[in-house]
Amino acid sequence: MTRGARLIVLALGGAGLAALLVAACLDLPGFGGTWHPYGDRAVEASLSRRTANTIASVNFDQRAFDTLGEMSILFASVVGTVVLLRQTRDEKRGKPEPEEVALPVRRYALIVLPVAVLSGLYVIAHGQLSPGGGFQGGVVAATALHLLYLGADYRALERVRPVGLFEVGDALAASAYVVTGLAAVLGGTAFLANTLLPYGTFNTLASGGTVPLLNAAIGMEVACAVVVLLARFLDQAVEIEEENGKR
Amino acid sequence: MNGWILTATVALGAGVGATVWGVATGPLRRRVVAQNMSSAVACPGLLLLSQGFGRPAYLDLALLLALLGPAGTLVFARLLSDDLAADPPHARGVTLAVAGYGAVVVLVLCAVTGPGRTMAKLLLIGALLIGGNLVASRALSGGFAASRRG
Amino acid sequence: MDEPLIVVVLLLVAVSATAAVAVRDPVHQALVLAVLGVALALLFTVLQAPDVGLSQLAVGSVLTPLLLMLSVHRVRRREKGRKGKAR
Repeated sequence: MTRGARLIVLALGGAGLAALLVAACLDLPGFGGTWHPYGDRAVEASLSRRTANTIASVNFDQRAFDTLGEMSILFASVVGTVVLLRQTRDEKRGKPEPEEVALPVRRYALIVLPVAVLSGLYVIAHGQLSPGGGFQGGVVAATALHLLYLGADYRALERVRPVGLFEVGDALAASAYVVTGLAAVLGGTAFLANTLLPYGTFNTLASGGTVPLLNAAIGMEVACAVVVLLARFLDQAVEIEEENGKR
Repeated sequence: MNGWILTATVALGAGVGATVWGVATGPLRRRVVAQNMSSAVACPGLLLLSQGFGRPAYLDLALLLALLGPAGTLVFARLLSDDLAADPPHARGVTLAVAGYGAVVVLVLCAVTGPGRTMAKLLLIGALLIGGNLVASRALSGGFAASRRG
Repeated sequence: MDEPLIVVVLLLVAVSATAAVAVRDPVHQALVLAVLGVALALLFTVLQAPDVGLSQLAVGSVLTPLLLMLSVHRVRRREKGRKGKAR
């Protein structure tokens, strides 16, 4: 295809997209109005299953299949990173030298690390009650571990972070999500339908049927995925060296 | 619109506006300080918004920002330690002023909410925020010895 | 109801996002991106979407800067290695 033909195709596609977007915009309800047809139905469905946080109900109940797709994207991208950033034949592993960290910074990191991990777990556990959920809490818990790298040194982080275990955890959590969905099929309803468990008491930790289970699976998947992702990046940035390159 | 939201609007507009300008222009030593200040200014803003909207659940956002904001600054302090050692930032005045602003907001909100779970959470956020930003500031001006790292 | 607040926060996002594109050096971009993350989290909170705000805070405040700065660190280290400046 010549440059001119490519530009024509691009212009056609762009014009079509622009026309569709403008048409959609003209039909949107006004900003900040009181008419929310989808919102009202989502809130009603969420309350009928005693899930206090409607967003969690949308993510893990009404549209749990979409969340499965999103989880697969994260999973696939982590697998891709692991493959791309592996240690190749012409690279060797150097020993990173310990960093001299000022005492207040080191103390701060060691004090805040457990607080941050706990906050991450809290955000996951309260996903169906208050803002938050598996994704947010998982990212927080995983990045919190890396305070060890930031405030102490890389070898301290390596000791508490067996990457192999986290890779297994990532896969286990992803399959736990699918298995919960299949369990609903075995129970006689649709894939990922929220019919297996009693809905419980509104606004308690065990409310919402399978919502807390799926939420926890996502939390574990995201936390493990982020740890594995950062481990590859850290390996490349800190440890792996080219054979001929001298530091 | 109530007084809390009005205060938050002014504080966020002026404070975060200043940090956006600071982070987008000038030498590296100014940019890292502005990045550190952005979370220190936004976190009290989130506390004010939570009070103004009447949603205690929004405190979680402030809690996460108080935890992760300083950690984000540590990322830059650690991985730019060579550049920062050559040209260290000095921002004692600004850091203390912003820490004072955070302390005032936390104390006022504590006085309004009265003792209870929310107050405990507010105090935790305040401690993490102020401690975190003072430490992050310290880390930027020579917290990591720019030693033999390549 | 809270239009002035929404306008102020939208302006913050617009200015910092423009700055993130206009700045050329990757290190400076990472710094602007961190501030943009905070501004976006504020915008989501103001528009009553705290779940999205939390996601933005979780990803934007540490994870994105850390990934970017590790990549920059790696590239710089390799350049030093190529020049043969043993340290």
